[in-house]
Amino acid sequence: MQHPSPDSLRAVTKPASQSGAGFVFPAPGSRRTGPRWEPYLYLLPALLVFTAFVAVPIAGGVILSLTAWNGISWDTATWVGLGNYVDAFNDSRFWTAFRNNVTLIPYFVLLPAILGLIPAALVHQMKLRGAAIFQAGLFLPYIMPGVLIGVVWRWMLNPVFGPVNQTLKRMGFHPPTWLADFNLALPTIGMIGAWAAYGFCYVVFVAGIEKIPRDLYDAAKLDGAGGWQEFLAVTLPGLRREIAVVLSVNLINALRAFDVIKATTDGGPGDATNVLALFMMNSAFGANQAGYGIAIAVILAIVTLVLSLLVLRLFGGDDD
Amino acid sequence: MLHRRQLVKRTGVAGLGLALAGSALGSLGAVAVSAQESTLVFWDTLNDKIRSKLIEGLGTSFGKANNVAVSHRGWTLEELQDTLPRAVESNQGPDVAQVNNGESLAGPMARAGQILDLKDYDTKYKWSERFAPSLLARNRYTADGKTFGEGDLWGMSAESEIVGLFYNRKIFADQGLSVPTTVAELEAAFKKLRENGIEPLVWGNLDKWPAIHLFGELQGVRTSREFLDDLIYRRKQGASFTDASFVDAATQMVAWNQADYFLQGYDGITSDDAIALFSAGGGAMLLQGSWATAAVKQGLGADAGFFLMPSLEAGGTVLSVGGVAIPYSITTNAKDADLSAAFIDSLLSQEAVDAFIATGSLPSGVIPEDKIDPETVDGQLYTAWNATVDADAVGHYLDWAAPGFYDVITGGLQELLAGKSDPAAFTQKLQDFYAASFS
Repeated sequence: MQHPSPDSLRAVTKPASQSGAGFVFPAPGSRRTGPRWEPYLYLLPALLVFTAFVAVPIAGGVILSLTAWNGISWDTATWVGLGNYVDAFNDSRFWTAFRNNVTLIPYFVLLPAILGLIPAALVHQMKLRGAAIFQAGLFLPYIMPGVLIGVVWRWMLNPVFGPVNQTLKRMGFHPPTWLADFNLALPTIGMIGAWAAYGFCYVVFVAGIEKIPRDLYDAAKLDGAGGWQEFLAVTLPGLRREIAVVLSVNLINALRAFDVIKATTDGGPGDATNVLALFMMNSAFGANQAGYGIAIAVILAIVTLVLSLLVLRLFGGDDD
Repeated sequence: MLHRRQLVKRTGVAGLGLALAGSALGSLGAVAVSAQESTLVFWDTLNDKIRSKLIEGLGTSFGKANNVAVSHRGWTLEELQDTLPRAVESNQGPDVAQVNNGESLAGPMARAGQILDLKDYDTKYKWSERFAPSLLARNRYTADGKTFGEGDLWGMSAESEIVGLFYNRKIFADQGLSVPTTVAELEAAFKKLRENGIEPLVWGNLDKWPAIHLFGELQGVRTSREFLDDLIYRRKQGASFTDASFVDAATQMVAWNQADYFLQGYDGITSDDAIALFSAGGGAMLLQGSWATAAVKQGLGADAGFFLMPSLEAGGTVLSVGGVAIPYSITTNAKDADLSAAFIDSLLSQEAVDAFIATGSLPSGVIPEDKIDPETVDGQLYTAWNATVDADAVGHYLDWAAPGFYDVITGGLQELLAGKSDPAAFTQKLQDFYAASFS
């Protein structure tokens, strides 16, 4: 059996076991076969689809955000430049909605991550039987449509005949009207969002823990680490990429929150649970100010992009 | 379910077109295309099982009489509002559709040239002679589509709506109460019921719009036809939301809330929850519109009754919140405008009136006396409606006042009832938004 020479090993940028049997990546600077444009030809179908269904609509949206279009007739689409953006930044309702989105971030992002991480670590350490059923149950809320989650929780929290308040009343409490109280409505929405998302976080973390090498846990045990120290020294660092995924996905959900709120409070009471996506919808379709609504959508997209990149930058670096 | 409708004229359209039309209509459960010359498509908000069946039955009758297939699609109001103008702009719209009054849709669609001025059909079918002027004013715009409430007709309504108080006759009898004739008597009834541990007024405001109705009713006992029309039709004659009628109505709402006359937790339940609760015997009175009649009747049976918001002084006039239901208009996608107009007229026929009455709906126009049984909740509703039309006292939905006003008034009312603002600040906020909408 002929062994590969050290030179040929240096030319391989990835282990052969990961890159497919018998395939060797060319070394940097080596000659390519085929014309220069050939790779672009392979990309062309995807590029065409991306251009038609992503790039063009985004560009169209940005252009429309610079008009005073009513969303009904193209005749009304008069050019206003950055007027819609200026109006948004001077609109107290925009800032209320933005503030509400920011308030939801701890509930939609951090809380489900923590709630998912704890059972993931415990299940891993305790080696529970039937964990798959447990996982499926936890994941269920995540695959439910947001509107359905909203309707279910609206019923659960109904102050007259909902089971939550009925139970609290039987226990001698005087429960509030969760979704109609100006101070409680947004945190309540936040808790519903956390409930809906923590199963997703749990499943991602469990998958991440599974791929952490066993010898790291064995080494930690040999060094006398307890469960908590094992979690801090092995599990948590090993989950850095999963944490980045969970935080960025949850962050996007927090910023685009719409369906649960529409189905529970419709932004009320007052503007207490109004968020940018709902404000955008009401502006574009309720008040027939589509240009303004699209400008809000553009702002929301930029904020989401920047914050997501920030999260990935903080948590999603190389393992080295 | 398909969202788009292709209206296919059979003549001149071969094989594939027919197949597409057939499959589309088949999937929508519409009238079969087969032998007719063309298909008339109409969209509206009659989307529940009972009302879909009713309107499709009327469509079938019209189709048979005119040798045309009629296809119906029922939407929720929000879906219809969002879809219709875009569909018409893309030449994918129906022939006839319900177009919501005022600046919510009728005005923008009229100005965009997406619906037809019905002036000539009004002359042909004598609609203006058959219905009360103040009712039809809600379907009028000037020819340029700029001024609401005057000018030509752009739509005709097949049904009407009126908001009032459903009541539980058994509870009233047990408590020794009779139908109040003044606001003071109503308040006395509220007080007595609360003291006796019965929920006086059931309503739910989680979905925000019901508070507009209560506010409108309480303003309606203090206003005049001319003032309210000036305000809603935006006639710029000094009508303002800071008028005493609005401030006093807001003050009374707050007082009733503080006196505990509203259902405990009213702000956390929806309008539908409130109807279900009242229909199960959960309170003495329910603030609702005529559309709730069937549900209330089904729940309470002979114990259900209806009366309008009473006046401040006995015998006074109240402008009750209500009006014509969303009118049917002819879109500019219509293949045959004459046929579309004939279809709209068929929805106003005696056959249609009878069909609406049979399902507990409130048809447009005056209800014939021989159709009224005063001992039933429907009969009391019809009597109240006839009296209101006779007195020219059908009020308005206040959110029609300006584009985007709905969010401002609903949010403002929630703040008012939660003690986050006071009547003066609330009405000033309404007026500021209303005044800005003219600029």
